[in-house]
Amino acid sequence: MTRDAEMPTDEELVAAVLKGDRERFGDLIDRYQGRLVNYLFRLLRNADDAHDMAQEVFVKVYQVLDRFDPQYRFSTWLFRVAQNAAIDQIRRRRLKLVSLHQEDEGGETRDWDLPSGDRGPYGELRNRERGDAIQEAIDGLPWEYRELILLRHMAELAYEEIARLKGMPLGTVKNKLFRGRQMLKDKLRDFVTD
Amino acid sequence: MKKPDHDTFREWLQLETAGDTDLSPERRESLASHVAECPECQAERRDLAHVSQVLARGRLAVRADFRQSVIEALPAAGWESRHPRTWRFPGSVAVLFGLVAAAFFGRGTAASGSPIWGALLAIASFFRATLVAGLGLMQASWKGLGLVCGEIFSSWPALAAFAVLVICLNLLLLSLVRRRAAAPSRH
Repeated sequence: MTRDAEMPTDEELVAAVLKGDRERFGDLIDRYQGRLVNYLFRLLRNADDAHDMAQEVFVKVYQVLDRFDPQYRFSTWLFRVAQNAAIDQIRRRRLKLVSLHQEDEGGETRDWDLPSGDRGPYGELRNRERGDAIQEAIDGLPWEYRELILLRHMAELAYEEIARLKGMPLGTVKNKLFRGRQMLKDKLRDFVTD
Repeated sequence: MKKPDHDTFREWLQLETAGDTDLSPERRESLASHVAECPECQAERRDLAHVSQVLARGRLAVRADFRQSVIEALPAAGWESRHPRTWRFPGSVAVLFGLVAAAFFGRGTAASGSPIWGALLAIASFFRATLVAGLGLMQASWKGLGLVCGEIFSSWPALAAFAVLVICLNLLLLSLVRRRAAAPSRH
């Protein structure tokens, strides 16, 4: 991946925030919100919880931003905080599997928007099935593979970052991801053929 | 160099699909020539690409107001108050005050010793005067409070009027709290 010469690095943005330029934290949010919300969504299986927790994670990180060590990557730090928060929440309450269709305060059902090129009733149905199938496939993975798959495919962390975050040798990370993807491929067989 | 086996190529395929930068151009080249001849690896590459696509399509769209809600939720972090910028203005005012005090008060006392010593004495006198004034004000306000209390407790009608005032203020506060609790919270 080539880096835009104009685009400041995460570490430069953090330095700017610490110098008093609060707006630059918004740039960090823009950069990571999609990955963070999706990562938490797959862990917590609930879109509202994922958004709320992502907000909490950003706030938590902001509060202790001065403790950020620039020799590590910001993304590694952010997702470590997110992972700890998610694990805490999972431990606190026993999660029940929920569908992607959720009820709002008025009792109306509301579908979360999963972007896709598919349109029309059949496409919508397919999207819904796909969303559920992905969740089921990910849930079906053993935890050690599941967290690595999410860190790689939802959080989009590099192998080295995952290795550092999990405290695992790089080779182990690659190995587990290899096996995890194979399992995922088998579980998503119906969807990889369409 | 020993030619990689089929399993190694399968591993490289995964790295390639995942966009891993570890895969060197030589390995990519070697992989491409292996895949061109191996139907199993061709199918594997196709499947892995589809898995990545399916995962990408299953991504949740982030709420449009998410960024704004995070920015609004950001508290004043502890490190912000420790930042030099926070103390720049009050610090500058203190230094300016010291300089002005030294310039005005130091001049008069310079004759009794060195100008710096005179300025320090003058600043100390100023702080002492400020302290005395503060204590005086506090004493006066306590005295004022005593007078008000004396007035209230001097007669039954005054005491009753005061009680009605206190009850009304409490009712007003209660209605405000209830209205705030009833208002829908923005999420």
